[in-house]
Amino acid sequence: MKQANQQDSQLGTVGEGLEQRGVTRRDFLKFCTAITAMLALPPSMVEVMAAAISKAKRQSVIWLSFQECTGCTESITRSHSPTLENLIFDLISLDYHHTLQAASAEAAELSRTQSMKENEGKYLLIVDGSIPMGNPGYSTIAGMSNYDMLVETAKGAAAIVAVGTCATYGGIPKADPNPTGAVSVGDIIKDKPIINVPGCPPIPVVMTGVLAHFLTFGNIPELDNLGRPKSFYGETIHDRCYRRPFYDQGKFAQTFDDEAARKGWCLFKLGCKGPVTYNACATTKWNDGTSFPIQSGHGCIGCSEPNFWDAGPLYQALSMPASATTAMLGGAAAGAVITWHNRSIKSAAKAAHSKVTVQELTREEK
Amino acid sequence: MSATLAKGINSFKDVIDAPIASFFSSCVHCGLCAEACLFYTETGDAKYTPIHKLEPLRRVWQQEYTLLGKLGKALGLSKPITDEELAEWEPLVYDSCTMCGRCAMVCPVGNDLTYMIRKMREGMSASGHAPADLVGATTRAVNLGSPMGIKWPAVLAQIKHVQDETGIEVPVEKSGVDYLVLMSSMEIINFPEYLSALSRIFKQAGVSWTLAQDAFEATNSGIQIGASDLAREIVSRIVIAAERLKVKCVISPECGHAFTALRWEGPNLMGKAYTFDVKHILEVLDELRSAGKLKTNGKDKRPLTYHDPCQIARRGGVIEQPRHILGDIAADFREMPDAGKMNWCCGGGGGVSANSRAEPLRLEVFKHKKGQIEATGVKTLVTACANCRIVMEESLEHYHMKVEVIGLTELLAEYLVEDKAL
Repeated sequence: MKQANQQDSQLGTVGEGLEQRGVTRRDFLKFCTAITAMLALPPSMVEVMAAAISKAKRQSVIWLSFQECTGCTESITRSHSPTLENLIFDLISLDYHHTLQAASAEAAELSRTQSMKENEGKYLLIVDGSIPMGNPGYSTIAGMSNYDMLVETAKGAAAIVAVGTCATYGGIPKADPNPTGAVSVGDIIKDKPIINVPGCPPIPVVMTGVLAHFLTFGNIPELDNLGRPKSFYGETIHDRCYRRPFYDQGKFAQTFDDEAARKGWCLFKLGCKGPVTYNACATTKWNDGTSFPIQSGHGCIGCSEPNFWDAGPLYQALSMPASATTAMLGGAAAGAVITWHNRSIKSAAKAAHSKVTVQELTREEK
Repeated sequence: MSATLAKGINSFKDVIDAPIASFFSSCVHCGLCAEACLFYTETGDAKYTPIHKLEPLRRVWQQEYTLLGKLGKALGLSKPITDEELAEWEPLVYDSCTMCGRCAMVCPVGNDLTYMIRKMREGMSASGHAPADLVGATTRAVNLGSPMGIKWPAVLAQIKHVQDETGIEVPVEKSGVDYLVLMSSMEIINFPEYLSALSRIFKQAGVSWTLAQDAFEATNSGIQIGASDLAREIVSRIVIAAERLKVKCVISPECGHAFTALRWEGPNLMGKAYTFDVKHILEVLDELRSAGKLKTNGKDKRPLTYHDPCQIARRGGVIEQPRHILGDIAADFREMPDAGKMNWCCGGGGGVSANSRAEPLRLEVFKHKKGQIEATGVKTLVTACANCRIVMEESLEHYHMKVEVIGLTELLAEYLVEDKAL
């Protein structure tokens, strides 16, 4: 794959590549229009984007995977192929990616270092997974610790895209008690522009949108205070949720199987984290726009927010205190008392148990 | 001495252990258990939702073992469990649950509802809310030695009959043999073919075995009614006999709950590990078959299907063995949908068949099995549980279906290669 990519990048532009693959100008413009709309750019930018992308040289991309589950890669590669997103993805030069590359062992590492040398200062670095700061042995690649590989590869990158909640905020590896000392990319790299694309996993089209923006403008999209592209993470799931009218009317499902749930009422009381979760699920949806969690009857778990795993029970409504330290301490103390009390109830019940005989299976008065 | 509400509630408190507390607290009210339950699918009545059958036990857990529940109880906000409520629940707990365990398989949070029903029955029986027929059966099992009131002389009569028929001596009270063979009352009274088939098979396989005078009955009404003290007494007869005769293995017969009682509950009831193995007869037959000690000749040409007894397949894990055996002797074996660990119950397990009050409901829910049997188009149904067998025979009769039900052991014996020189 790498060899072909190198040839392509020497031979032609993305536009020529698309033509060779039989993608029509019309399809390409449709794609650019969709991406422009998603990035909240003015319609006049469609032409600019089309022109820029078709002329752009194939972007060299190095993808590093650290403490992760490969869900991010699964999400992006299996988006809803074959679509233009996939083709665009093919038309970058993906020089290094554990899961997708054909090369292995030293050849694989060589392609990374070569690409770093050839495209110094120009390549895009994509990272998924968190970085263990405890024992480096929790995760190594080719004998190299994740930390060392990240620092070495980040040095010559034009920008870094942190993909998935693990790379952006530490994710599930960082969940209490964080046994590996997991940290995010942004915790380590301070001198490079970082685009955070959180989500467990992130929405595929958000990924391709960010890449398209980078190809068009040569810079990174506008980010919010958590480093996320505003165009995709500007509003909460709740803001764009189709069940929002029920919330506004105070119509809530109380259990997953009640009449209200069947009618599709708001899942807030069942622990939906939509109101505090910034992501595009409610608009772009998943699986080729088929559905998203709330549409299939389950509340949002807030997977694209920092520390979502430790932010209280998934099925507890947001208005209830979820993680206040005092509440936790009080809860622990109450728990100890209750445990003691419960044990005494149970042992009293055991002591009060008299051996059952067959005579005792019926009532005397019966 | 008498059953009282206080005893029942005390028993509920006693049986609520860590698994039950975590099962109740992790239930997400998804209702999947309803769809898995024969009694719900065939009647459409929501009161048969498995978790709902446990409601009084759940309330005791909530009132006694949770903070909010305790507060509610102290403030008089939650009503205590009453006799009326338990009386209302009695048919739900005993008549409409065969403890088949299908609901536990589909529960997304892994709640073992069968375990909970089994424990709930402890409190139901201690409070006098067990069905009269089950009380009768349990009383006979404890006082006479068998739920159907069968005593050793009846077994002796059957032994004589089998010996006359086969010309093979049925060993009794032999010490130091490999296997202690048990039977269920049903096999002694209704299906004498079992003992006859076993004698012939074991003779050919060169297996040493025995019956025990004081432990011939494998069934355990104490398990069905939910009285561990009585279940312990019943299972201890088998344990004592097996230890006295120094057998290597006790064979649970073609009976579902007997296997559960002896194999899984027994050591916990006795509070110690067995000195012997417990195997279901199908496990033993399949082992003999694999070891080449069991030769068959010819195949049954009739279209056959196999009904998995819940306690043996789903709760007991004996799924492959009957299929191995049927593979040898059945020419046209047809599997029913959901066969194996997700099979549908005959409707009469867990004490339901012993409870005459439950009969109309049992016949109603048999419609599922009826449909499955009809879809296969067979006229011969094989199973490995005498209770499933009698329940299905009665139900098939009720629906005027001409389908014969046979035990797998006796079917196997029909195709056994017998060396008369042995």
